[in-house]
Amino acid sequence: MGLGFLIGAFGVLILAHAAFSTIQYRGLLKILEEEFSGPPVNVIVELLLALSFCMWAALTAAGKFLSVHHHSEENRIVSLPANMDFLIFNHRGKVFSPGTDMRLKH
Amino acid sequence: MAGGSEKKSSEDANDLQTFNAENLQSNMKVIYYSRTFLSIIGGVIAGILGFTGLTGFIFYFLIMAITSIGLIAKAKFSVHSYFDSWNRIILDGFFGGLMSFVLFWTFAYDIVHIF
Repeated sequence: MGLGFLIGAFGVLILAHAAFSTIQYRGLLKILEEEFSGPPVNVIVELLLALSFCMWAALTAAGKFLSVHHHSEENRIVSLPANMDFLIFNHRGKVFSPGTDMRLKH
Repeated sequence: MAGGSEKKSSEDANDLQTFNAENLQSNMKVIYYSRTFLSIIGGVIAGILGFTGLTGFIFYFLIMAITSIGLIAKAKFSVHSYFDSWNRIILDGFFGGLMSFVLFWTFAYDIVHIF
């Protein structure tokens, strides 16, 4: 989680630097009295870097996918209560057990 | 716990396809988060590059296609164990992201190219 946020913030910083470089480049073009045809190569490289960093951040920092199937491995209830020693099965309720047993077998 | 086991036995009984709604909701939240963040970043990039008109919208489609591929890769290419249909991973959050994209596109374009 923390690493993803850091990478994303770094990508946003690179974006800000690219925007600043483009503003400076446009100022230079204004002095040279030329037309703007496209951003310089270093800005394009910075934008690609920032895009890949932010893509990585967006795909990892958002959290993990959880399985939606009830029978999948990670949705199984594996934690048993801590006081297992106090569970009693030899009580009057066992008279009714055949009914539930049949349902479970099915 | 009792509810979970009851649900499981009922699922076995009538063989109906059910989903864990909480986990599905959490997966959708992850998708919205990723798409919104990437449409904002894509908008800023389109603004800095100086795209105008149709080019910017094509750029948005490109970004969203890459995002979809990334999300499918994040789901380890088994979409049906994390979502109930393909539309969830490909289409959801598309138009909401488009609004953010246009907002940040015009914002970055104004800052870089007009002022």
